[in-house]
Amino acid sequence: MVVLIAFKNVWRNKVRSLVVITAIFLGLMGGIFTASIITGMVEQKIRTGINNETAHIQIHHPEFMRNLEPGYRIVHPDSIVKLISEIPAVQGVCARTRITGMAASPNSSAGVQILGVDPLREKMVSNLFETIPDSSGGFFTGSRKNQLVLGRKLADKLKVKLKSKVVLRFQNGDGNLSEAAFTVNGIFQTANNVFDETNLFVRKSDMDQLTGEAGSIHEIALLLRDIGTIPVVQRELRVRLPHLAVQNWTEIRPEMGMITSAVSIEVYIILGIILFALAFGIVNTMLMIVYERTRELGMLMAVGMSKSRIFRMIMLETIFLTTIGGVLGMVLSATLVSLFHRRGIDLSAFSDGLGAYGFDPKIYPFITMKLYLYLSVMILLTGILSAIGPARKALKLKPVEAIRVE
Amino acid sequence: MNIIEITNLTKVYDKETIPVFALNGIDLTFKSGEFTAIVGPSGSGKTTLLNMLGGLDNPSSGKILVNNTDITQLTSSRLIDFRLRNIGFVFQSFNLIPVLTAKENVEFIMQLQGTEKKQREQRTLELLKSVGLEEKSNVRPNKLSGGQQQRVAVARALASRPRFILADEPTANLDSKSADNLLEIMEKMNREEDITFIFSTHDARVVAKARRVITLVDGKISEDVFKNQ
Repeated sequence: MVVLIAFKNVWRNKVRSLVVITAIFLGLMGGIFTASIITGMVEQKIRTGINNETAHIQIHHPEFMRNLEPGYRIVHPDSIVKLISEIPAVQGVCARTRITGMAASPNSSAGVQILGVDPLREKMVSNLFETIPDSSGGFFTGSRKNQLVLGRKLADKLKVKLKSKVVLRFQNGDGNLSEAAFTVNGIFQTANNVFDETNLFVRKSDMDQLTGEAGSIHEIALLLRDIGTIPVVQRELRVRLPHLAVQNWTEIRPEMGMITSAVSIEVYIILGIILFALAFGIVNTMLMIVYERTRELGMLMAVGMSKSRIFRMIMLETIFLTTIGGVLGMVLSATLVSLFHRRGIDLSAFSDGLGAYGFDPKIYPFITMKLYLYLSVMILLTGILSAIGPARKALKLKPVEAIRVE
Repeated sequence: MNIIEITNLTKVYDKETIPVFALNGIDLTFKSGEFTAIVGPSGSGKTTLLNMLGGLDNPSSGKILVNNTDITQLTSSRLIDFRLRNIGFVFQSFNLIPVLTAKENVEFIMQLQGTEKKQREQRTLELLKSVGLEEKSNVRPNKLSGGQQQRVAVARALASRPRFILADEPTANLDSKSADNLLEIMEKMNREEDITFIFSTHDARVVAKARRVITLVDGKISEDVFKNQ
């Protein structure tokens, strides 16, 4: 009966209850949707970062990542690539040379990272080739030598287009300068402007001819079938390749890992603030309810309703109010997030600014089940905590005084 | 048999400044089956006495024994339980739970007592029948007249099978027809089922029906008349 009274009490003042419920569900919907946009942006950034730039794990000479010296090479990479390919969790593996150099066109020049790749193997690890629009060539098409694929930003900077000549100049492992002219075969365009402006790709066989070091590479990149298996594979490779540095994507690009943690905290702070504000609304409403029903509460105590039952009744009323608002807010926000997740939110108008931070201008909002579970618990907890004060207030009433209140 | 024994009951307000004796050394006993009206001018201590009898207020001194239990010594939580099992209340302004139907209002008390569902339903039906409201059992208080609401309140007060019922000005908010009807029902229950009623009232109709009339003046008993003896 206490449960029944509490539930019926929720609808006693329909307007007030609906205002509170609306405040809860609008607050939650706003919070969840904002969180889903932030999470979606970051999730996309990480996904494209992994797929286009870092892969899941990279292997280098232990000194290479400190100063990118071309002399720090991995010798006999074929046996290592074969070893990695045999690990069931690995989806694709490729070996690259990576040299810092200069790209020059007749109009301009720029400092770049030159990556020598095997196009077929590269496609097993990186989705970069998919970011080349049909009108911007391909990822090493045909058998012509000295082909080059570069980012849109770099192409614009060098003022080159398809089939333009670009001269690459870099220092060899032996300290001598090498240079050669390459033809633009494709122009990619990722969401990361910085990456597009500083990286270009050539065939590894062409690079080997220039460096004269065909038997060695700088980097092995591998993509796993499941991102969750990174720690296991990384641990295994560290054991099997003790003389090499085996790093995962968060170690290679610490800022990407930091963004994930920072955004999680940010999302929790936003939702925390919303729940905190809601708590005040609930406390206010429940206090009003207790004051309005002073005589009734006094009567209930007079006829023999125990304090614990009165406490439970007020707590339940708050929990019902919060749960209705919370469930509505979560269902509607899930619908909203799912709708925009399918359609995406086009922020192309801000693509330059977003691209500078590596964010895709088309955002696909996304929310994790963990966050939903966290919210369910937090909403309930907010309701319970908010009700304690008003419920205690009710318990302090003296029936003899309360039943006289008009 | 005495069901209530009051000894030297005193209630003093504003003890620290100017003391006002709401009750001043009351000695009273009530027997089972009494139909008693406590009367007196405003401020004579009628409601205070009723509140003390109902364990809603603490006396400044004195004892109230209900079936040999001194209720002035009970803690507030034990008093709540004591009230639930021993005392029925009928208030001036009905005080029904507005979100519950007439039936649920009556049943509610028995549920607090832990009575089984079947028994609850059966007794609720009997009580609503005895107050002539079986057809209104599924109606909420706001759809009932004042007299009907007070009859539901009487049924609720009886639901817990209390030792006695305290009724504070039960007819004050009723028109004369409803008041007569209510009094007839209570008198019938007292006569046929030996239920003890103690009223605090200004209403001459209640006084006329009462078999014992206690008159309070300035917190003291000025008259205690047993009419039918």
